[in-house]
Amino acid sequence: MSSSLEGFPEGQVQFDLERGAASVRVDSSVYPLEALYGAAYVFIDRAYVLLDRAEGDAYRVWISPKKPAAEDALRALLGEFANELLSCAWRAQIAKDSRSIIEQATTRALGGARGAPSLDDLESFDFSDESFEDPLGIAMSWEEKYGKKKGAEGSEAKAAPAGAEAAAAEGEPTP
Amino acid sequence: MNLLQIKKPSTTFAMPFRHRVVAGKHLLTNTEGAFVLLDDAEFRLFAEGTVERGSTLWTRLVERNFVRAEVDLRAIEERIRTRKRFLDYGPNLHIAVVTLRCNETCVYCHASRANMDATYTDMTKETAEKTVDLILKSTNPSVTIEFQGGEPLANFPIVQHITEYALKQNEKIGKTLEFTMVSNLSLMTDEKLAWLVANKVQICTSIDGPQHLHDKQRKLPTKAAALPLALTGEGASPSAHLAARHWIGRINDEYGKMGLDTSLYHVEALLTTTRDTLPLWKDVVDTYVSLGCKALFLRPVDPFGFADRSGGRVEYPRKEYLEFYRSAVDYMLELNRQGVQILERFAAIFLTKILGGEDPNFLDIRNPCGAAIGQVAYNYDGKIFTCDEGRMLHEMGDDTFLIGEVGKTAYRDLMGHETVRALALASNLDAQPDCVNCTYQPYCGVCPVHNHKSQGSIFGRMRESTLCAVHKGIQDYLFEKIASGDPHVLETFKRWTTVRDRTHFLQTCAL
Ligand code: SF4
Ligand code: SF4
Repeated sequence: MSSSLEGFPEGQVQFDLERGAASVRVDSSVYPLEALYGAAYVFIDRAYVLLDRAEGDAYRVWISPKKPAAEDALRALLGEFANELLSCAWRAQIAKDSRSIIEQATTRALGGARGAPSLDDLESFDFSDESFEDPLGIAMSWEEKYGKKKGAEGSEAKAAPAGAEAAAAEGEPTP
Repeated sequence: MNLLQIKKPSTTFAMPFRHRVVAGKHLLTNTEGAFVLLDDAEFRLFAEGTVERGSTLWTRLVERNFVRAEVDLRAIEERIRTRKRFLDYGPNLHIAVVTLRCNETCVYCHASRANMDATYTDMTKETAEKTVDLILKSTNPSVTIEFQGGEPLANFPIVQHITEYALKQNEKIGKTLEFTMVSNLSLMTDEKLAWLVANKVQICTSIDGPQHLHDKQRKLPTKAAALPLALTGEGASPSAHLAARHWIGRINDEYGKMGLDTSLYHVEALLTTTRDTLPLWKDVVDTYVSLGCKALFLRPVDPFGFADRSGGRVEYPRKEYLEFYRSAVDYMLELNRQGVQILERFAAIFLTKILGGEDPNFLDIRNPCGAAIGQVAYNYDGKIFTCDEGRMLHEMGDDTFLIGEVGKTAYRDLMGHETVRALALASNLDAQPDCVNCTYQPYCGVCPVHNHKSQGSIFGRMRESTLCAVHKGIQDYLFEKIASGDPHVLETFKRWTTVRDRTHFLQTCAL
């Protein structure tokens, strides 16, 4: 295992040439998590990528090329990753800053292309009251979802754990 | 000029602008796409907010909405609306790949061709009709159906059927229809030509430059069916170039006989710039002029189709491409000075936006790009793609840009497809690092398919994108020319932005 790589600060990266893997430490106060996901995802066709919580306020990203790679190739891959991470972080910021202008253009473009629904479209639209698949219980009221939980069976009972998890994550009491 | 020399920059004088130094001048552009070129002294006055009211500089800046106190918001709104008019309509360009079969083998083939016996890659009548039915659902009142392949002449009955069926169906719908065919022409016959001319199908071909280069890059393995012996001689190896040249002449003659203005109505040709093309910029231009072409599109090779596999042989650094581009366009400007009418398409697209304030709706250089919302590609088997480039990736085993299938996917579902939404976002320059601050943003466009193929994500990174390098390099060149103030160049550039509609090819049905 080596911990230095030309172009990267000492200790920032780790190399395991035998296993053909490299990792980089990413400061979570500098890069938002969504940028990390975005950048990591770009590499999944070429490499196996694992995100991990390193020490303190840092993530550690492990990248292992699918095809055997020498040190140069690993270095290039990490460098690519670092650039992509920066690009994703900045894009996320720009998307926030220019949100309204981006939304406006996209809505206008997609609206213009789709047009109003035709009679054929309306004909194939499902106006029935038939229930649709809703495993997370998104379309259910609170009472429906949790009020009758005791003794409930079937789909409602299955929906509860996922809904409960979501509620807990939002800081609400789990019923 | 060092920007630090500007001692007290004013934060209230200027409207938001982007800045780049071109040919020693300060090029400024703003949101509405107006530009101004300032020398050092003028830029200093502008940046410090000390431009004298009523001076020539003041008038230039105010006219182009660079001065906050004098800004004309209505004009800005109107100009942006004009530039973005294309957003109000759906796809105009519909590419029908009627077969993958092709009788030529090209070093850079983008379409991932099939051999001539692979008839299973021919579009069937049923698929053709479903394709037309879907095309006519577009919200765009004008629709162009472009026949591509492979070589579309290899499945000519389907070209005929699509044209006739579309015209018939359109009687109830009343769109303006246009048909074009991209062909290597070597399978053309007098009968096919007569039908194409009578049915107003425009014809476009590929010319790689002078004969030796064209024939080296585009191999015609069997003697071209319709190539007169006199052109190659008995036993001579077949020449793809001579076949194309022969038919270009014949087609142009037909237009002339019909009384059409041949300066407007003639075969258009497409160039693919490979490494071997670079030193031959003059020969390329001369070849196009000798063929009667009025336009030359100096397209660099792209990473799709076979070009990817043969990349090592045909690719080149973009710096070399840009030198080639400059030499070729300099020469074209010189020819124009001598009265020869020839324009470069990249230049015309950018100049229409820069000088004309309009967007010519070239789908690969617009914001957002035309993926599905401007063009749709229909494969021979009925599979639908956001654009032809997306289809090419499918032929290479990547289905990222597959959005449906004719007969199964409804038009509105295509346009609302998650991939289409993602591409509209990814090609929005206001969402792109680099582009968001780039001086050329009002005139430019990015290609998510290119980004995906070359950088692994539809968003890409423009700093490392070869396409961005090309767009930036070409716009640098154009602004350098504009900054030179040469009246002949400016007059030629202005002429290049004038679009003359080929109304003969528009087929409208009164409802
Ligand atoms: S994705 Fe690229 S090729 Fe497809 S329409 Fe957009 S710019 Fe053109
Ligand atoms: S693609 Fe390149 S040249 Fe075009 S706007 Fe973006 S950064 Fe500028």
